[in-house]
Formats: sequence, structure tokens, C-alpha cells
Amino acid sequence: MRPMTRFTLTCFAALVAAWLLSGERFLDAVFGMMDLGRVDDTIIAGVVVLEDWKAGLSLPDVFGQLRAAIHQGLGLR
Amino acid sequence: MVFPTLQFIGFFAVVLALNGLAWSHNALRKALLIAASYVFYAVWDWRFCGLMLFVSAVAWGAGLAVQRPALRKPAKGLAIAAMLGVLGFFKYFDFFMLSLQQMLQGTAFARDLTWMVVILPVGISFYTFQAISYVMDVDRGHIPPRRNPADVALYISFFPQLVAGPIVRAAHFLPQIDAPTRPDATARAAAVVLILSGLFKKMVVANYLSVLLVDPVFGFPDGQYWLSALAATLGYAVQIYCDFSGYSDIAIGVALLLGYHFHRNFNQPYRAESLRAFWQRWHISLSTWIRDYLYIPLGGNRGSVLRRNFTVILTMTLAGFWHGAGWNFILWGFFHGAGLAVERSLRRLHVRLPKLVAIVATLVFVAILWIPFRATSFTETLGMFAAFTRAEGYAAPEITATVWVLIAIGLAMNWLPLHWRSWAEMGLARLGPVLQAAILAILIWVMFATAQEGVAPFIYFQF
Repeated sequence: MRPMTRFTLTCFAALVAAWLLSGERFLDAVFGMMDLGRVDDTIIAGVVVLEDWKAGLSLPDVFGQLRAAIHQGLGLR
Repeated sequence: MVFPTLQFIGFFAVVLALNGLAWSHNALRKALLIAASYVFYAVWDWRFCGLMLFVSAVAWGAGLAVQRPALRKPAKGLAIAAMLGVLGFFKYFDFFMLSLQQMLQGTAFARDLTWMVVILPVGISFYTFQAISYVMDVDRGHIPPRRNPADVALYISFFPQLVAGPIVRAAHFLPQIDAPTRPDATARAAAVVLILSGLFKKMVVANYLSVLLVDPVFGFPDGQYWLSALAATLGYAVQIYCDFSGYSDIAIGVALLLGYHFHRNFNQPYRAESLRAFWQRWHISLSTWIRDYLYIPLGGNRGSVLRRNFTVILTMTLAGFWHGAGWNFILWGFFHGAGLAVERSLRRLHVRLPKLVAIVATLVFVAILWIPFRATSFTETLGMFAAFTRAEGYAAPEITATVWVLIAIGLAMNWLPLHWRSWAEMGLARLGPVLQAAILAILIWVMFATAQEGVAPFIYFQF
């Protein structure tokens, strides 16, 4: 496999990992998409199904915890 | 679509994968990148995709026409008039109508003029400038015209640099369209460093400075005092640098991952020892564009001292007007031009300042002129200058330690040795692609966690 293919696949894997460990932020981002009619309706429907599946796994919101820790540690609002 | 968002990350991941799949099929790869660029642009307002297509078509047609001796002058003139017409209408129509109404006030012709409100399409200044440079470069014989309209369409719409530059020259970009360089370990490492440094500058330094300091102070100048005005002036100098150079870094990094190389757009501008050096380091692609397509055609370094000083002041005033339709931008450009003219005269008289004094003097001059640039009106500009004379400000925000740390970080980025970046790139280049991608992903995640909720648009989007 070419190095650039491995790079791209790792980026996708990281995106999936980020989605799994980021609470509902990806769902919020999908709802923030432009209105594309049937296209975004289909994407939203697909993401909602995946989010339901993810909720069943009861994964922690690692992103939220990291965010709280950083903001508290640096005194950021 | 703004770079530091989940939407862009998802979009780019898909484009990166498809670009890799289509790599060996030149026509398919071009079609993919044009489609992706138009989707990227359509997210703001799909109605303006037609305008970008029109500008691309005019540039392509004019490029072919200027090759024929009989058509050369009219084709070039019409194409540039059409592009400047588009830019002028969308960018300056409101300003001229408002100015006309104000001029007529108090005269026998005074009346309430009604005119349609024109929406400013994002990035219009950048892509019309690229289109103009394509026609001019073909006309000057620097590049051959492209017969395939897709080549010109991709050059003008390529999404990493579409909305806020850097302004890429056709002579540099078009040869890459035919033979992009597959990113190797070194290119990937450079891209990772650029994307991460750009995100840090924008999401952490620029955005926090904007919210904690600059916006509250510039939003209410009458309630400020000398310290808040001083901190906000310095803060804005850092904010605009981090915002804009951050955008450029991300754009260059993203393009690099797709196989295209852009020149550096910022080179530690606040280290400049003179205004001339500042403009050689700040928004380099625009400075060189203005030099090649405005300053030199207006006369450049030809003629008497007076004539050359007039040319530089006129050029910078027009550059100020390009930034925005308002008297504050015109003032900003005029004073930069005047500063450059004074500096040139001092150089002729062999007046030299010690290096550190020259750097500080340049920074102070540039920072002071950022005030009219940031202010939304001439009145607000005067209000900010008045704040420097007050000992107390009833609406001044608290100037916290965080604010000073952010300013210090922003300034430090102008002073850290450039080879530190090279070391980081060399270290990353030694890693495999999986580790490179993992580091990129993890640090983007940390950056998103550090940033505020929601990301403010980049400052240069409005130009």
C-alpha cells in the first residue's frame, strides 16, 4: 500500500475514533450543514442511525472531558 | 465552509481520498477538484458559483484571444474591464451610492436615494485578481494560454486558496495541474506542521484575543482608556497576523497534501526593520501582485523622486481601497504609502536607525495604522485615538494575564528562529505515514478542545 494511502486511511480511522469519543458534536455539525434538500436529509438520517448505535455502546465523551480539563487548567472561558 | 470546522474536516477527508484514487487520471482529478471547489464555495452561497464561472470563462477566452495580434488589445482591455467591473460592482456599489447621497446632502439635489443592497461574494477579490494575473501573464508571454477551460477553472477556483488567498500565480500553479507531486514523507511532514501551526494561530491565539480583548475595546472606544487602547492595538496586530497567516498556513498545508505547492505567504512580518521590508514579509502574494500589476504599470521606480513617491502613495491608497470600501481603509493605505515614501527619502539621505530601534519603530507604525483598519468607521478610529489620552475607561475590559500571554505568544511566533520549524518538519518526516496522520489527528483534537465553542470567520474573508 502506498504511504499516502496509509496516511489517508489513518486520517479516516482517526475521524471515526473522534466521532466515537466526542459525544454528540458530530451530530450537531451535521445539523449545521447547508440545506441540500434530499442530500442532507439522507446524510442526517444516516448519521442519526449511527448515533443511535453509538449511544448503545455507552462510550465516554473523552473530548468533553479533555476540553473541560484544558479550559480549567488554562483558566479559559 | 471554514477550515477549522468538523464540516471541513469531513469534506477534506473525502476529497483527499478521492484525489488519491483519481491520481493517475489527470482529467478525472481535475474534474474532481473543480467539483470539490464549487461545493466548498456553494456552502456560503450557491448563487455566486455562476459569477466565479463567468470570471473563469472570461479569463480563459481572453487568454486565447490575446494570442491573436488583431484581438490582443481589445481582448485584454475587455477582459480586465469585465473583471474589475464585477469586482467594482459587488464591492463598491454600496459605498459609492452612500457617498453620493452624503455629497448631495445640503445641496439643491439632496434626496433619499434608494438602491439595492449588494451582497459581497466571499473571496471575490482573490479570484478576480488571479483571473487578471492569468490574462496579464499570457499577454506578457510569461505563460502559454490554456486551451482546456478546465485548467483555468481549476486555477481560479481551487478551494484551499479560493476565499482568502494566497494569490497563486498562473505561471506557478498551471504546470502543477498537469503533474502534481505525490506528497512524500517530507511534504506530508511540512503539511502537518503548517496545518497545526495555522490552527493554533487561528483557533487559540486569534480567536481568544478577539473575544477577550479586541472586540470589546474596538466595539466601544468611548469607554476605553490608554491601557485598554494600547493592549487592544497590540492585540489586534497579533490577532490579524495569527488569523491571516494561520489561514495561509492551513491553505498551503491542505494544498500540499493534495499534491500542489504554494509559496509562503508570511515571513515573520513583525521582525521587519522597515516598512518596505514589512511589505516583503506580509501577505507576500498580494504585495507582489500589487507590485507587478499595479505599481509597475503606474510608473514604478521610473521618473523623478516626486513622481516615484506619488506612485507609491497612489498604489498603497488603491491597495487600501481594495481591502474595503470605506474611508478608514483608504486612510490606512494612504499612510502606508506616505510612510514608504518618507522611508525612501530617508534612505537616500543615508539615515539609518539601529536595528532594534528600526524594528520597534516599524512595529509601532504598523500597529497604529491597524487602528483605522480594524475600526468600522472614521468616527470609531478617532474614538480609539482619543482613548490613548484618557486615564480611566468606564467600559474597559479586564486586561488579564491570559491576554498578555496570548500577545506574547503571537509576537514570539515572529521571533522564534525559522529553523525550529524545520527541525519539527525533519522530525516528522522520519516517521511513517500512519504516525504522521495520528499526530495530526490527535493535535487537531486537542486544538478543538482548547478553542472556544464556534469559530469566528477569518478576518480576510470580508475582502
